[in-house]
Amino acid sequence: MKQWPLLRSLSESLTRTLAPHSLYTLRFLSSATASPTFALKNVTKSNFESSLADLRRHVRDADFVAIDLEMTGVTSAPWRESFEFDRFDVQYLKVKDSAEKFAVVQFGVCPFRWDSSRHCFVAHPHNFYVFPRQELPVDGPSYEFLCQTTSIDFLAKYQFDFNACIYEGVSYLSREQENEMLRCLNSECDDEMSRLWRNMKEVRDMPLVSVADVLFSERMKNRFNEWRKELLQDRKGGSQFLETSNDMKQQFQTIFFKMRPALLLNGFTAHQLRLIQLVIKKHFKDLVYIRSSGDGSYSELIVYIDSDNDKNLFMKEVKDGLRREAEMKIKTAVGFRHVIDLLSSEQKLIVGHNCLLDIAHIYNKFFGSLPLTAEDFVSSIHKYFPYMIDTKILLNTNNVLKHLMKNGSTSLSKAFASLCPQIASSSKNSGLAFQPCVEVEVQVDDMRSSNWNSGAKHEAGYDAFMTGCVFAQACSNLGIDFKKHSSSANLAHNEKLQKHVNHLYFSWVNGDIIDLSTGNRIVATTVHYNLKRRYPKILFSNIVIVWGFPSQLSSKKIRECISKVFGPISVTTIYHLDETAVFVQFSKPELVADFLVLKETLETIQDPISVLHPLSELLEGGNTCAASYETYKEICSSPISKVMFADQAKAVGIKWKTKLVESKEKVKTQEDESFSKENGAADAASDSADKSKTRKIEDVIDNLSDDRISSSEIIDSLYAAQTKLSKHIRTTNL
Amino acid sequence: MGGVAEDEGGTEGDVVGELGVEESKRVGLFSMMKGEMVNKGFKGRLGVFAFAAVQPMNRTNWPVPANRPRRGLCTKREWRVKQVTKSNFSQTLESLKPQISQSDFVAVSLQKTGSFSAPWHRVLPFDTPQTAYSKARFAADKFQVFQFAVCPFSVRASKVVAHPYNFHLFPRDELKIGMPSYSFSCQTSYLASMAREGFDFNVCIYDGISYLSRAQESVANGRIGNPVPSNNVKTLSSTPSVADTVFIERIKSRVKHWKSACRDSSTRTDEALVKSLRKLILGSEEYRSRPCINLDVCSEHQVQLVVEVLGEFFDDLVPLLIPAKGGGTQAVRVILTSSEEDKDLLKRELQDLEEEQNKRVCGFREVIDLISASQKPVVSHNSLNDFAFIHSKFLSPLPLYMDEFMCSLRMVFPHVLDVNHLMKEIGPLKKVTNLSAAASCLKRRWFFVPIDMEIPHQASNEDKIHGHNVLRISHLLANLCSILKITPEMIQSDGGHLASALEGYANIFHPHSTNTEDPIDGDIKVWTDDTRKVSSEDLVFIWGFRGRMSAGGLKRLLQGSHSVFSEEFDVRMVDGSCAIVVFWQSGLSQAFLEAISSNGISGLLREMVSEGLRAAGYETYKKACRLGFWEADLADSLDKTLAEPDHNSEADTETKPTGPSQINWSRDSIINLDEL
Repeated sequence: MKQWPLLRSLSESLTRTLAPHSLYTLRFLSSATASPTFALKNVTKSNFESSLADLRRHVRDADFVAIDLEMTGVTSAPWRESFEFDRFDVQYLKVKDSAEKFAVVQFGVCPFRWDSSRHCFVAHPHNFYVFPRQELPVDGPSYEFLCQTTSIDFLAKYQFDFNACIYEGVSYLSREQENEMLRCLNSECDDEMSRLWRNMKEVRDMPLVSVADVLFSERMKNRFNEWRKELLQDRKGGSQFLETSNDMKQQFQTIFFKMRPALLLNGFTAHQLRLIQLVIKKHFKDLVYIRSSGDGSYSELIVYIDSDNDKNLFMKEVKDGLRREAEMKIKTAVGFRHVIDLLSSEQKLIVGHNCLLDIAHIYNKFFGSLPLTAEDFVSSIHKYFPYMIDTKILLNTNNVLKHLMKNGSTSLSKAFASLCPQIASSSKNSGLAFQPCVEVEVQVDDMRSSNWNSGAKHEAGYDAFMTGCVFAQACSNLGIDFKKHSSSANLAHNEKLQKHVNHLYFSWVNGDIIDLSTGNRIVATTVHYNLKRRYPKILFSNIVIVWGFPSQLSSKKIRECISKVFGPISVTTIYHLDETAVFVQFSKPELVADFLVLKETLETIQDPISVLHPLSELLEGGNTCAASYETYKEICSSPISKVMFADQAKAVGIKWKTKLVESKEKVKTQEDESFSKENGAADAASDSADKSKTRKIEDVIDNLSDDRISSSEIIDSLYAAQTKLSKHIRTTNL
Repeated sequence: MGGVAEDEGGTEGDVVGELGVEESKRVGLFSMMKGEMVNKGFKGRLGVFAFAAVQPMNRTNWPVPANRPRRGLCTKREWRVKQVTKSNFSQTLESLKPQISQSDFVAVSLQKTGSFSAPWHRVLPFDTPQTAYSKARFAADKFQVFQFAVCPFSVRASKVVAHPYNFHLFPRDELKIGMPSYSFSCQTSYLASMAREGFDFNVCIYDGISYLSRAQESVANGRIGNPVPSNNVKTLSSTPSVADTVFIERIKSRVKHWKSACRDSSTRTDEALVKSLRKLILGSEEYRSRPCINLDVCSEHQVQLVVEVLGEFFDDLVPLLIPAKGGGTQAVRVILTSSEEDKDLLKRELQDLEEEQNKRVCGFREVIDLISASQKPVVSHNSLNDFAFIHSKFLSPLPLYMDEFMCSLRMVFPHVLDVNHLMKEIGPLKKVTNLSAAASCLKRRWFFVPIDMEIPHQASNEDKIHGHNVLRISHLLANLCSILKITPEMIQSDGGHLASALEGYANIFHPHSTNTEDPIDGDIKVWTDDTRKVSSEDLVFIWGFRGRMSAGGLKRLLQGSHSVFSEEFDVRMVDGSCAIVVFWQSGLSQAFLEAISSNGISGLLREMVSEGLRAAGYETYKKACRLGFWEADLADSLDKTLAEPDHNSEADTETKPTGPSQINWSRDSIINLDEL
């Protein structure tokens, strides 16, 4: 037994130092030291119903529920990654695009309940495998989702079981889909019924051409007559048995259908059935031909009805039966959404870690299409989940916790390791005496353990568990005394959490926070990003997006080009979206319009001046396009996702090369007019415009005097390095 | 719907019904020929195989898919397809090489993650080769190949000798450069049907072989920045300028200086500090435990100069080119070797390194390169889709136009045979479009020829039920050859050329084409029975009618709406949103289109138009495909296309004016699009 603590401390130190890929081996190590090693609750199709029943109970009793999702991807193109240069609305468009394109493959739900007798939390980690299988046949586009290769590879690295997901994953219908299905069902039912009625009323008259048809019809008529007669006799008190020959029995079977005597037709061809329909329609007022479905197969019936009244009643019964059956099917197809409905209806505090994207996925997959604007999204999410808390915000904005985290990384696994070391290393004796540790017991089915830690990182169920533990510990560190709390709703209303409840990071990169309850945006008061401070303030009205330029142009070159024309301090920042596109932030908003006009002018007139113009380096190749920030937003909102931004712009259907800024443009033309008037040259408008443009160029060339290399170039290159770094951080955060 | 299995239910049922369980070994082949298109595999009626436990990585204890009991016929020992993943790839490559070069044909078959996102995205009978290609192109860009089965085979007397392999592919970014594919789409119905066949997704994703296309490889080489031997540097033709001479002299003295310093330091024992100082000053480094120096260059011209100088004045130096990020060369690395033998050794090392690197970079594409280099005829089923994928994933991005695609493909695969097309050449098989139906049809008919299958090699416990389609294709081709009276001798005729008897059937890519001399955009036959030719000019797409409509209902509505409909016409639904109208009398389509857009419309048609009815000719449909407006509903795509301004300057040069194409319209239940 002596080597256990040693191993434990070894594994503990390894957890903190090793790169993530070595964690797999480590998992064995740590699970070897932890005494009870049972897996968390994995839920698939086969055990979904029973697990859901248990989960209902656990959620109802819970103080809060932690969630986490695993998806098939995050960004559909590199330029759709989150940038510092994303305005609030653009951030939402990027999240929306991601949630719409990728699939959720694993959903972790972990209810936490405070056990006042044992003074600890009891957690029930659930790991749902989810797969968007199409269970019901519907017309229209097929179910389809995107996979980001690196994300799939990432999941594979953490031993994600794709077979479990695709073979056994629980499927789902969103509320919107369900409603659509029910709507379809109604119209289908109506269709079916009207078809039935039509069949009864006006079976297309088929001329009986062949002798065989005539004979067959005649025989059928006799058969039905006999059957009907027998029935009626039977009713009138005659106890005569229905005498039928053997082959008759095979083809016609007397049964009861909806409490009415009926003949079940077997072994007829479609043509014969058509003839039978014709016979029924022509000769029998009190018989109805009907096609009923049951157990996945159809059967043809001839039903006897008493009166027209009874007929209507009967048709209604048939219709209701059909509908009930279909409704049942739809209800089953709702599948995993029952879990979401449960979370929403119980109104529990939902805890996630940097969970905006998770929430967007939940909305898109289980409620309906994402709203077009962030505002609408925020307000409707708040309706479904009135209490939500993000542990990442908690750790980054609360001074107490920030101090505890020593301003280190707030990635989930880091936070878990530093806040809950006793759980992370599954040891009971925590060495950190200054920090009172919240105990968490884990219960899976009948197994219960107070030092459970046999989950795997980046498994949704375990991530949800870690998130919950981090939250519980954070609450305790904030001085929330669970012992005093009796009811669960209190936690969401606890004044110590009030500053954080319903706050979500809209963009982690920018530190933009949104308050779901008010829809207000909160500028992070404490800049958590040390590097961020070095960015000059981002002014979207000063930004031009340029794409399609020669690929070898570096940001330094681009800055040089533009600075030569507009002055050494004209360009504040150059930011590469990808290798085909850059944001250029000018120092003054007017420069945006000036730049676009100049660019257009240079491209329309081909004379020596424009060829020698310093900007021509940027325009080389003739594919360089430029527009204001609004165009970037427009391109982001397109459902298309090409890997390169320049290809994307083309695919979106942008055919112009320069989009002038309109309001500014008006000012310009007015200027032009006055200019031409001054010169007394009231020729064609185009002519004057040309002249004014050449004048502009001359002005600009005068400005060329100063072409020193500014120190900002060096800063540019620093930014480049920093973006790389932050991208790296982002991916590891996932 | 989009379901795979559901779509094929009808045809499959038929086939299976006819096949007895107790068929002989030979006929057993046919009972295995289940499942429709090549790429969809078959639906799990094979024998119960013993499966190796292939999932050591399974985290949870899910039932390993392959272990599920299957309704089996019998164990087919001779039907083993070798499954290839990353771990046995290079070993497989070695055995595959001679097999390809010794075989007559190479059959290929792909399993993809999807094929069409909406009903109208699949190739429809009224598609021209170009629109069909546009659809295939869209799918190839979007979806991914998970399994690639390759089977070199030869036909000997009444025997097929086959070497089937099934490669598992996954577009893993092995080099961390965002290639081969940033993302890909999956159709859930495809994944579900693969799951039904017992496909192991974990093996595919964890252990699948990656690849780079030829186009990607050249980009990648620049990005990885691995040094390249200077073998390909051209020698200078012009006499050096003054600047060149100065540059040469500078390089010469620098290298000389460095070399003598290296030689010196190797004899002396310096202190560590001195050593590192010397390193710093001289810019000297080590490469593969040999001293080296990097010489910065500014242009390819300077690269030539440096390489020339080194070759001229120094025998013991080996130059390596260091590529720059954006292409071109950044520096020349000069490595000092100790002797002539050492120099040879280094050169060999570098060569090995390059090969290894290539293998790592191009991955599975090496198989494509092998097949291409062998110039053997490649046999497939449904060649347009498969080769669009092959071109897009392993060669280069697909061009916009069909003929460019054909040219580009022909450079790589000179002879492509489509068994689907070959079947259409044979009367009774004209209507058959899937492999299993073809097999049973062949069996039933008088011209059935017994052909045995021989699979000589293969490890025993690696077989799975995947990738059997290549065998089916091989077998079918052998059968068809014998029906077409093509003897094995003719097939084996001469290396580079296809047997003249087969020549006529090669490189036909249109799925509905029968006429071998078809030029692109020529006649298109739908199903061959009772078809009538119709010019694409006589087709009109209509959409915007209310709610769900049946073709019959729509026809009845139209009949009374305008005088053009007093003549004979037909209506078919393309998808829920859009229908196609065929005017059997030429000129009426134009009249209809004019009527519907004129102010003078009246009566019922006017009412329909006011309710939203719209119409467009076949050109609009072609344009929608060309512009890539792949909306879920055809109606939306056509609307979007109409909204698109006519770009006379650009579009007209792009659209090759081909004139109206002939489309064969069959009268019988023809394109039963409702059932597609």
